[in-house]
Amino acid sequence: MTDILTHSATRPSPTDENVSDAPLVLALPKGRILKALAPVLKHTGLSPSADCLDESSRKLRFPTAHPGIDVVRVRSFDVATFVAYGGAQIGVCGADVLMEFDYPDIYAPLDLGIGGCRVSVARPHGISDAEEDDMTARASRIRVATKYPNIARRHFASRGINADIVHLNGAMELAPNLDLAQVIVDLVDTGSTLKANGLRETEVIAQVTSRLIVNRVALKTRPEEIGALIARFRDAVSAGSRDAVRAEGGLS
Amino acid sequence: MSPPVDISALLSGLNDEASSPALLPSGFVDLLPGEAEAEAQGIEALMGVFGAHGYERVRPPLLEFETSLLSGAGNALAEQTFRLMDPHSRRMLGLRPDMTTQIARIASTRLSRAPRPLRLSYAGACVVIGTPGRETERQISQAGIELIGPDSAQADAEVVLVAAEAMAQLGIARPSFDLTVPQLARTLLAESGLGAEACGRLAHALDRKDAAALAKGGGALSDLLIALLQAAGPADTALSALAALDLPVSLRPIVERLRTVVSVIRAHHPDLALTIDPVEFRGWHYHVGVCVTVFAPGQREELGRGGRYLVGDGEPACGLTLRPEALLRAARLPARRPRVYLAPDADRTVAARLREEGCATVAALDAVSGEAALAEQARALDCARVLLGDRIIPV
Repeated sequence: MTDILTHSATRPSPTDENVSDAPLVLALPKGRILKALAPVLKHTGLSPSADCLDESSRKLRFPTAHPGIDVVRVRSFDVATFVAYGGAQIGVCGADVLMEFDYPDIYAPLDLGIGGCRVSVARPHGISDAEEDDMTARASRIRVATKYPNIARRHFASRGINADIVHLNGAMELAPNLDLAQVIVDLVDTGSTLKANGLRETEVIAQVTSRLIVNRVALKTRPEEIGALIARFRDAVSAGSRDAVRAEGGLS
Repeated sequence: MSPPVDISALLSGLNDEASSPALLPSGFVDLLPGEAEAEAQGIEALMGVFGAHGYERVRPPLLEFETSLLSGAGNALAEQTFRLMDPHSRRMLGLRPDMTTQIARIASTRLSRAPRPLRLSYAGACVVIGTPGRETERQISQAGIELIGPDSAQADAEVVLVAAEAMAQLGIARPSFDLTVPQLARTLLAESGLGAEACGRLAHALDRKDAAALAKGGGALSDLLIALLQAAGPADTALSALAALDLPVSLRPIVERLRTVVSVIRAHHPDLALTIDPVEFRGWHYHVGVCVTVFAPGQREELGRGGRYLVGDGEPACGLTLRPEALLRAARLPARRPRVYLAPDADRTVAARLREEGCATVAALDAVSGEAALAEQARALDCARVLLGDRIIPV
């Protein structure tokens, strides 16, 4: 009956059981980056099952060759969110996503050097550079269609322009021609989508590669495991670049 | 003719935010039965440990003049402080976002002549503005200790050891203490000769442990910065990684102090989980020496934070502030008091004895006829037993 008065010294805590033995969750982005990541994953020995990599399965969570590590497959933007909130301890996403969200709970300790592209401003054809410079210099605001509202706002603010954001999740390229926006800010790889829709890239905001990201608290509370994982990825990246050098040597 | 309809009132009624009396401003919560008691008990348990180590309790006010709250070390709090105008003095008041700077004010004014080392403890609620878009708590309770006077590794270690004991008192198993030295990154950046903008970008890259940005923007420093970043980890591996680095002379005393603090803590508490992060500088930016952040396995948040700073007139001090809300999420709510329903004719002496033993007695206010009706009322009020005369009957 008096146990409530003494409970504090003896009662078990939820942090006691299982928690630190729970599997680590690695969040991977669907699509372009996942394909480029496959060889790196192979080097780390963490390849998830084939139905994860080729995106044929409707499952979202997959075991890996490592019993203590599971993979979840989510949208690129959501990788950052899963890792920031600690749902996944570790993940891979583009630097564009990190620039957009800038979560203080995410560390980006390793550049994987894959998935290279850039975040750029694009405008319709038919406006000359001189006209454009003049427009930009005089404008106090500009309407921008983008899926990166924060990047776009920051970029134009640094030029003294308020960006009126039209937040789209895809098909940004339509926006200028349908008079939804004057310019777009988007991820550009080859630039062929821009060309096909009558736009041209006028300014590169940032070069982007994929990063290994880690939840801050997870790194602090499970330093050995997460440190070992980062080291594994680091080795895989340098092994991958050795392979690439060898392949290039073979070609020439 | 019916009265004219006030369309704007109708429309604002559609606004969800206005419609529910249960809605609180974001970041503020009601603590309900069980939770509020757990918080109070938890804070008292912490304060008990602090008091037992000679940290005497003080209680600064919620509001202070903005000028004194935000002066000196408090300057770092300006962005997070709610302000209101005092209708009497017409001066601006600040609602405290942190108590450490208040304790520093007390130490340098009212207690400036109290013998040193001065050990003070405190508990209370603070309010921060928070970060837009992140639904984090904005009313934060704090319970902490400050050790004012000495500038030594022993003092740095003492606040960690006392905090560890306080957490053990709450039953939090295996807390881990992340030791950091913010002035290491500050000194490196200050001596780098880089411009303010480049330094700002590097500081951001260090804060996010962004190796790619460090490699790109670090210039001559980038190798050292990346090596420091990779040195973070369990205390022993981190210290040997730091020892292997060719650090500028200005940084060596900082690392040496860190090493001494670790060995003092180890001497008293060999099993305490310690990690080191040489490039971290998070938290209120008033810290000048070895700092510490508290974590626990399985918890996704910081449980506390502390470090070395300077009191108003430059007097050295260090301290550590725990966050009771976060601690109690890690420690699980204590069992509720066992509840006993008192029938109208319940024996008063027995009831008093039950209370002394830690039960809650819940008195029946209306006359009740029959044991069955009494038992039903007891169950409805969550009482497992009824005191009938001097008999205790389970229901």
